[in-house]
Amino acid sequence: MNVAILSPEISLGAAAAVILLAEAFSAGNLSRVAILALATLGIAVSAAFLIPAQLAGVPTSSFSGAFIQNGFTIYFKLLMLMATFLVLLGSGRFLAQAEGRRAELVALVLLTTAALMLLVSSTELITLYISLEMASLSTAFLAAWMKHQERSAEAGLKFFLLNALSSAVLLYGIALLYGITGQTQLNGIARELVGGATPALLLALALLLAGFGFKVSAVPFHMWTPDVYEGAPTPITAYLSVASKAAGFAVIVRVLQTALPGVQTEWVGLIAILAAVTMTVGNIVAMVQTNIKRMLAYSTIAQAGYILVGVAAGTGQGLGAVLFYLAAYTATNLGAFIAIVEIADRTGSERTSDFAGLHARAPWLAFALAISLLSLAGLPPLAGFFAKIYVFWAAIQTGLGWLVLLGVLNSAISLFYYAQVIHHMYMVPAPSPAPGRSLPTLVAGLTVAIAGVFALGIFSGFFMGLAETAARTLTQ
Amino acid sequence: MSNNAWLIAALPLGAFALIALGARRSPALSAWLTILAIGLGGALSLQVLREIAAGARIEQSMEWLPLGHGLGLTVGFQVDPLTAIMLVVVTSVSLLVQIYSLGYMHGDNGYSRYYAAMSLFTFSMLGLVLANSLLTMYIFWELVGLCSYLLIGHWHERPEASAAAKKAFIVTRLGDFGFLLGILFLYWHAGTLEFRGLEEAAAAGRIPAAALTVGMLLVFCGAVGKSAQFPLHVWLPDAMEGPTPVSALIHAATMVVAGVYLMARTFPLLEHSATAMMVVAVVGGFTAIFAASMGIVANDIKRVLAYSTVSQLGYMIMAIGLGAMSAGMFHLFNHAFFKALLFLCAGSLIHLMDTNDLSAMGGLRRQRPITFIATTIAALSLAGIFPLSGFWSKDEILAAAASTNPLLFAAALATVFLTATYMFRLIFLAFLGNPRGQTHDHPEPLSMTIPLLVLIVPSVASGLLGTALFGNPFGSFLEGRAVTAEVNLPVAGISTAVALAGILLAWVLYGDGRVEASARLAARFQPVHTLLVNRYYMDHLYNGFVARIVLGFGWLSNRIDLSLIDAFVNGIGSTTISAATSMRRMQSGQLQAYAWAFFAGTVALAVVAALPLLMGTR
Amino acid sequence: MPPAFPPLYPITLQHGLILGAALFSIGLAGALTKRNSIVILMAIEVMLNGVNVTFVAFARQLEPAVLTGQVFALFIITVAAAEAAVGLALIIAIYHLRHSVQIDEANELQG
Repeated sequence: MNVAILSPEISLGAAAAVILLAEAFSAGNLSRVAILALATLGIAVSAAFLIPAQLAGVPTSSFSGAFIQNGFTIYFKLLMLMATFLVLLGSGRFLAQAEGRRAELVALVLLTTAALMLLVSSTELITLYISLEMASLSTAFLAAWMKHQERSAEAGLKFFLLNALSSAVLLYGIALLYGITGQTQLNGIARELVGGATPALLLALALLLAGFGFKVSAVPFHMWTPDVYEGAPTPITAYLSVASKAAGFAVIVRVLQTALPGVQTEWVGLIAILAAVTMTVGNIVAMVQTNIKRMLAYSTIAQAGYILVGVAAGTGQGLGAVLFYLAAYTATNLGAFIAIVEIADRTGSERTSDFAGLHARAPWLAFALAISLLSLAGLPPLAGFFAKIYVFWAAIQTGLGWLVLLGVLNSAISLFYYAQVIHHMYMVPAPSPAPGRSLPTLVAGLTVAIAGVFALGIFSGFFMGLAETAARTLTQ
Repeated sequence: MSNNAWLIAALPLGAFALIALGARRSPALSAWLTILAIGLGGALSLQVLREIAAGARIEQSMEWLPLGHGLGLTVGFQVDPLTAIMLVVVTSVSLLVQIYSLGYMHGDNGYSRYYAAMSLFTFSMLGLVLANSLLTMYIFWELVGLCSYLLIGHWHERPEASAAAKKAFIVTRLGDFGFLLGILFLYWHAGTLEFRGLEEAAAAGRIPAAALTVGMLLVFCGAVGKSAQFPLHVWLPDAMEGPTPVSALIHAATMVVAGVYLMARTFPLLEHSATAMMVVAVVGGFTAIFAASMGIVANDIKRVLAYSTVSQLGYMIMAIGLGAMSAGMFHLFNHAFFKALLFLCAGSLIHLMDTNDLSAMGGLRRQRPITFIATTIAALSLAGIFPLSGFWSKDEILAAAASTNPLLFAAALATVFLTATYMFRLIFLAFLGNPRGQTHDHPEPLSMTIPLLVLIVPSVASGLLGTALFGNPFGSFLEGRAVTAEVNLPVAGISTAVALAGILLAWVLYGDGRVEASARLAARFQPVHTLLVNRYYMDHLYNGFVARIVLGFGWLSNRIDLSLIDAFVNGIGSTTISAATSMRRMQSGQLQAYAWAFFAGTVALAVVAALPLLMGTR
Repeated sequence: MPPAFPPLYPITLQHGLILGAALFSIGLAGALTKRNSIVILMAIEVMLNGVNVTFVAFARQLEPAVLTGQVFALFIITVAAAEAAVGLALIIAIYHLRHSVQIDEANELQG
C-alpha cells in the first residue's frame, strides 16, 4: 500500500486543516489575503507532487487497485487545481465579506477539490461512490453558503435532494452491475462483460448514465442546474461549473471506457442522444434568459452537450478532444464568471440589461466577458473554437455526422444570446457610472483566465498534444 | 528579409498592443507609434519587393491544428510577387493615411482608439496578404472585417454610424458564410488549404471539375461581400459614415480590394473552371456599370466616391473573370493610389465645410487650390485619360474584354463614360462656380496637405510601370517572366473618346460657372453658337430622358437592396424564440417537477437502450 | 458447518432482489410524490436501503467469502448517515427563513 500516491490530495486536506486552525488561533480574524496565501500554498504543493509525474509516465496504482495515478488523472487534477486557484483568486469581495466564515469556506472548497481529485483517480466502484458523495455533500453546503438568503438556501436544498435521488439511482445501477459481474473493480467488470448486452446490463447502463448525467447536467437530468447556479454565490457557481463538471466527465469516460467497452455500441447511441438533446435544449432556453447567471447555466448545459459529442465518438481521438474541450471550457467559463462576480458586485444586479454601457465603465471587465462569451460561442481564434473543431472532427470520423451537423447549428444559435450580452455592454449607452476598483487578486485571476482562453486557442496544437497524451493513458 | 516578412505585419500589431497596454493615455504617442510601425513596415516591404524581384520566393508554415490520419491544418506565410505588390500598396497608403489622420482626427475624443483600430487593421490586412493558405487568409479576412466594423462605427454616438457599422458587418458576413463553405468544400476534395497544394491538386485534376466550380463560386461569395459586388454592394456606400481617412484606407485602397486579391490569389484554380470564370466576369461587369449609374445621382461627395469604388472593383473582378489577372491587379495597384487621393481630397473639403453635401459646396478651388488640383489629377486618372496611371490599366482591361466578350466590352465602355461624368460633376459642383455654403477659415494642417501632394505622384505615374515604354515591369514582375504590354490603339482611342465625352457631358450639365462665359464666347464666334444650341438640346435630353432612365435605374436598384436585405435579416429567429419560451415554462422551480423529469429521463434511457432487444434485432 | 435447522423456505437471490426492488420503488414513489422535504429525505433513505438489500443479496450469491457487496452496503449506510446530517442542516436553514419545510413553497428560483 503506497500512501504517498495520495500526496496531492493530502496536501489540500492539510492546507484546509491549517487554515481552520490558523483561523481558530487568530480568534476568527484571519485576513482574506492570509487565507488566500495559505490556500495557494496548499494548491502549489499539491501541484508540485503531480508535475514530476509526467503525463506519459508509468501509471502507478495502489490500495488493491482502487486508486490509480496516470496521465489521465494528472491532467484532470492539474486542471482542477488551476480552476480552484482561479476561483479563489476571483472570488473578490465575496470572500472579503463572508465575515467570520471565510476560512471555513476556503477550507471546504479545498476539501471538495480533494474529493474531486480522489474521484478522478478511483478505479473501483466503492471508492468512486464515496468520493462522489464527499464532493456532492460539500457542494450542497457551498451552494447554500449564504444561508440567510432564501435563494442560496433554496439552491442548496434543491441540489441536495435531487443529488440524493440521483445517487440512489446510480447506486442501484452499480448494484446491478455488481450482480452481473461480481466485480467492483472497473477493469474486472470489463473482463467479466464478454457476452454482450442483456436486459439487466442495459438497465444498469441506463441507471448509470442517469446518475452521471445528473453530475454533468445532461438533459433531462439537468433541471437542478439553472436554479442552483442562479441561487448559489457567484464564485461557488463558477467552481461548480468547472471543477465539478470536469470531474463528472472524467468519471463518465473512465467508467464507459474501462468498465463498459463490451457494450460500446449501446452507450455510444445513448450518449449521442443525450448530447443532441442536451445541446439543443440548453441553447434554446438560454436565448430567453434575462439573468446572466441563469443564462450561463443554460450555456454550460449546452457546452456539456458538445462535450458529450466527443464522449459519443468513443475513440482515443474523441477522448483527447474531450480533455482539450474541458481545459478550454474551464478557462473560458472562469473568465466569464469571474468577470460577472465583479460586475454584479459593482452594479448590484445580475440582469443582462443592467450591463448596458459596461465597456465605458469597466473596459477590462467588459472585454474579458466579451472574449469569454465569444469563446463559448466558438469563434476563432479563441479556445472554444478549437475545442469544438476537435470534438466535431472526432465525431465525424466515427460516423456521427448528423450529431455534428446539429452541433454546428447549435453553435450558430448560441451566438445569438452571447452576442446579446456583448451588444448591451458595447452598444447600449450607460445609464449611470458605477465607480469601483477591482481587487487586485480578482484582476489577476481574470487575466490568467483570459490569457488561457487565447493561449489554448492560438497554441491549440500544443495543448491538444498534451490532452491526447493524457487520454491515451486511460485505456493503457 | 523575405524570410522574416511576417515582421512587417507584426510591427503594427506591436503598435496596437502598446496602445492598448497604456500608450492610449497619450493620443500623440498612440498616433506616432502607429506611424512609426507602419513606416518601418513600409521600408521592409520595399526591401522584400527588391528581393522578390531578384527571384526570391518564400513559404513557411507550421502545423496548427493536427487532426490525425495525416490530415490537419497549417498556418503560415508566403512571399511572391503578388504578395510583395500588396505589401507595398498597403503599407504606403496606410502610412500616408495615418499621417493625414494626425490633422484630420485632431481633437477627436477617440483619437487613441482610432489609431489602435488602424494599427490592428493594418496588421490584419498585411496578415491577409501574407497568408499562404485559405485558412490563414480567412482568419485575417474576419479580422479586417472586425476592424472595419469598429472604424465605421468610430463615432458610435451617431446612430447612422452604428447602423452602418452593423450593416457592413452583417452583409459581408453573408458573403463570408459562402466563403467558409467554399473553404470546407475545397478542403474536402483537395485535403489541403495551402494555395500551392490547391493549385497542384487542380492542375493534376485531383479535384473533380464540378467540385472545383462549386468550390470556387462559394469562395467568390466571400469576394462579393468583401469587395462590395452586386448584390452585396449595399454596405459600402453606407460605410462612408466612418471617418474619411478610414474610407480612404479601408473602403477604397485596401480592405475592399481583398476580394480582388482573393480571386487573383486563387486564379490558378479559377482558370480550370470556365463556368466560374464566366460568373465572375459577369458579376464584375454588371457591378461596374450598375454602381457607376448610381454614382451619377448621389449628392454626398463620399457616396459618389463609394459608388465609384464599387464600380472600379467590378472592373477588377471582371478583368480576373476574363482571364486578365495581371490587368486586374495592375488596376488594383493604380486604383489604390488615385482613389485614396480622391478620398483624402474629399476629407480636406469636409474638414473645411463640415458637410458632405455637394450642393452646399461650390467655388472651393480658391480656398483649397492644392485639393482642387489633386482632385482633378486623380479624377482624370480615374477617368482613364492618357497618360495618367488609370489610363494604362483600364486600357488593358478593356482590351481583354474587347477580345473576348463584346457585351462586357460594351458595359465597360459605358462605365468609362459614366465614370468620367460623375467624377467631373463632383469637381464642377464642389470647386467651380460661387460658394454656396459656410466654410471655416482655419488653414489646412500640413499633415493633411503633404499626403495629398505625395499621392499625386503615383496617381500620375504608377501606370507607367505597366507600359511598353519601360518594358512592362509590372506585368513581368507579377508573372515572373518577361511579358510585353501592347497598347491596343483602337480600344485606347475609343475609351479615351468616351471618357472625354463623359467629361464633356458633365461640363454641359454642371459647369455652371462657365456657362455664361461660354455663351459670350459663342456670341463672338458664330460657328460655336450652334454648339450652344446643342448644349440646350443635350440639357433637355438629359432632364427629359437620360436623367429619368438613370434615376430610375438607381431607384430600382435601391429598392431591390432594401427589400432583399431587410427581409432576410428580419426573417430569422422568431420561431426559435417561441420554442424557447415554452420550454422555459417547464423549469417551474418545483423540485417535484425536476424529480419527475429525472425519473422520466431514466425510463426513456432504459427504453431506448432496450429498444434493439424489444424489436428483436439482437 | 451447516445450520442445524435448514429453513423451510430457503431465501434465494430472487427474494433478495425483489425485496430490494420493492423498497427502491416505494422510496422512489415517495420521493416523487411527497412535498415535505423531510419525508422526501426519508424516502430516499428507503431507496438506499433497497440498494443495500440488493447488494447483500448479490454478495451472498456471488462470492460468499469475499464480502465486497456487504462492505459496499456498509459504506452506503455510513454515507447515508452523513447525508442525513447534511440534509437536516439544510432543511433547518430553510425552516429558519420561511418557517416551513414544504419544498413546493421553495420556488423562488425558476425559469
